Amino acid sequence: MEKQKEKKGKKDEKKPKIAIVSLTSCEGCQFALLDLGERFLELVSQTEMIDFRLLEDEEDSGEELDIGIVEGNPATKENIKTLKDLRKRSKLLVVLGNCAAMGGIPEIKNYQEGANTIKHVYKYVQGIENLEVKEVDNFVKVDFTFPGCPITAEEFVKYFPLLLKGEIPEIPDQPVCKECRAKGNRCLLLDKKPCFGPMIQGGCDAVCPSSRMMCQGCRGLRKTGNVKAMRAALKNMMTDEEFENTSEIYGLRDDIEDRENL
Amino acid sequence: MNIKINHINKMEGHAGFMASVLKGDVKSAKLEVKEGIRLIEGILVGRHYKDVPVVAQRICGICPVVHNLTSIKAIENAMGVSVSNETKEVRRLLEWAQIIHSHALHLYFLSLADFLNIENDLKLIEKYPKETKEAIKIREFGMEIVKIFGGRVVHPLTNEVGGFKKVPTQEEIQALIKKGEETMSSVDAVANLFLGLKIPDFERDTEYVCLDKKGIYSLYDGDVISNKGLKIPVSKFEESFSELQRQQEVIKRVSSDGKTSYMVGAIARVNNNHMKLHHKAEEYIEKLGYKFPDYNPFHNVSYQMVEIIHAVIESLKILRSLGHMNLENAVTKEYEVKEGFGSAAVEAPRGTLYYHVDIDAKGYVKNVNIITPTAQVLSHLEDDIAAYLPGVIDLPEEERTRKLRGFIRAYDPCISCAVH
Repeated sequence: MEKQKEKKGKKDEKKPKIAIVSLTSCEGCQFALLDLGERFLELVSQTEMIDFRLLEDEEDSGEELDIGIVEGNPATKENIKTLKDLRKRSKLLVVLGNCAAMGGIPEIKNYQEGANTIKHVYKYVQGIENLEVKEVDNFVKVDFTFPGCPITAEEFVKYFPLLLKGEIPEIPDQPVCKECRAKGNRCLLLDKKPCFGPMIQGGCDAVCPSSRMMCQGCRGLRKTGNVKAMRAALKNMMTDEEFENTSEIYGLRDDIEDRENL
Repeated sequence: MNIKINHINKMEGHAGFMASVLKGDVKSAKLEVKEGIRLIEGILVGRHYKDVPVVAQRICGICPVVHNLTSIKAIENAMGVSVSNETKEVRRLLEWAQIIHSHALHLYFLSLADFLNIENDLKLIEKYPKETKEAIKIREFGMEIVKIFGGRVVHPLTNEVGGFKKVPTQEEIQALIKKGEETMSSVDAVANLFLGLKIPDFERDTEYVCLDKKGIYSLYDGDVISNKGLKIPVSKFEESFSELQRQQEVIKRVSSDGKTSYMVGAIARVNNNHMKLHHKAEEYIEKLGYKFPDYNPFHNVSYQMVEIIHAVIESLKILRSLGHMNLENAVTKEYEVKEGFGSAAVEAPRGTLYYHVDIDAKGYVKNVNIITPTAQVLSHLEDDIAAYLPGVIDLPEEERTRKLRGFIRAYDPCISCAVH
């Protein structure tokens, strides 16, 4: 441990210290970052990387961090401990992606009949941790969230330098539709095909509707997103049950219910 | 004595390793899985079939293309949906692209440092700046194909039951062809680096399982074969291969006709099908000096390089042929939603990936089963390590740990896939 500290200490002391930590997930948000290739390496070179287990074997020395970045869902007690430890040592805690921010696809389990989901998968369920899926902010204070399943890497490139300066960025409150229109896409809703775009936080470059895939809301409700108007607009395109089912995919359903109960 | 590695980094998902050795005899060697469960098969029950590829591909952030595709093929088989040749060609292309970017990530950024005794990739990058750039270029060709045809690299969007929601323009295809041609020199540069590596000697006779199709090196379809005489259609997969869960284990192991130890992935495919590789890939094997059958699991990494050579050439071939096709034929056609049971398999980067789905008359899922490559090789990996361990047991702890990690990583395990 001492040796490692010494080794790391030789690096530029002024660079912000960061760590990228993953809980339970597909790790796709980390790959979205790695997939930036040289641009990611360029961003990393502006920091002192204390822990990023996709790139290094060295043990995390556990030192204080300027930014702790966390991806995935706290699905085990060990995950929860990792998350809390990361919060403790980080000036800013930044969340990567839908699993951490909204529960992600594992949250579908919460909407099913309790213990039955696991019985579809395992014969011996004893001794297997099967916690209720909860978003990261149920356990720790979150300073900033990069939303999406996966995150939009360009958004990371845009906002991460601000975070390095200790500032908290603000993603503009605009629907997915804004970027969708700017790209010249034909509106799915106008074609009588369902799309959650109007109530969902934009910033994803409307990647789904650009592929003629409906927005299913992985980036979450925008602040002024109007759920009631959305339901009304979709009335003739999907049943209430289909609306509910679709909103479960990215853990949006509980947020919609909270908004409607306000 | 007990050997424990708390966390193996540079690998998809979370796992450690534990072994117990008594007077030189390995009593147990076990991968300790530290991944939470997501219950993907369970959460799919009761959902509409259209959600299946969307949810299932989120099993893995490296290889979503194959989870998406295999689930789609299984649903098509369940409902009796047939797709156009153009659709099949685009899907084959996506698979080669998936192989290119997954293998390039693993062999360069996850595994290579182990053969150079470097602990941190940032140091590897400093030491080999040119090769790193070339490795990134190779990845980018694979990723660009997935982006252009799939709509996005991590969790693609266009592929669905019956075809594609959207297809690229001919200009986009021409740009990809140009990029592919430029990638060939990057492939040579990285391939050369791998020729010079000192790879440990270790051998253990084993059974290699993969898909096989007459005349071609197939990833997309074929029969399930092995070097020990197995040959069955994919529809009979679960008759020969069965999952078994040990108490408290979250990865279900797989046994093949009663044997739990068999191998899948690049090393299995190349062993079984090397004669069908492009001659440039075959020549590279000659330069490596490898002979078949090859039972050194470390060579899995070199065989990923072999497959990259083949995959880039094959992708270019498909791209050029798509340049002469009417891609509108790959766009989803109308089909009927029907009740049924369907199975499908493809060769994922890490080996044979199998899905079955059972769908009701309204299109809702009754049952899903997913058998991933890493789940299939888990027991094989542990048996291999048990055989490898005596040779490294007397090394100083730090060096031994490094060797064991390198061994496990050469397998390219994906714990997220295996647990799902």
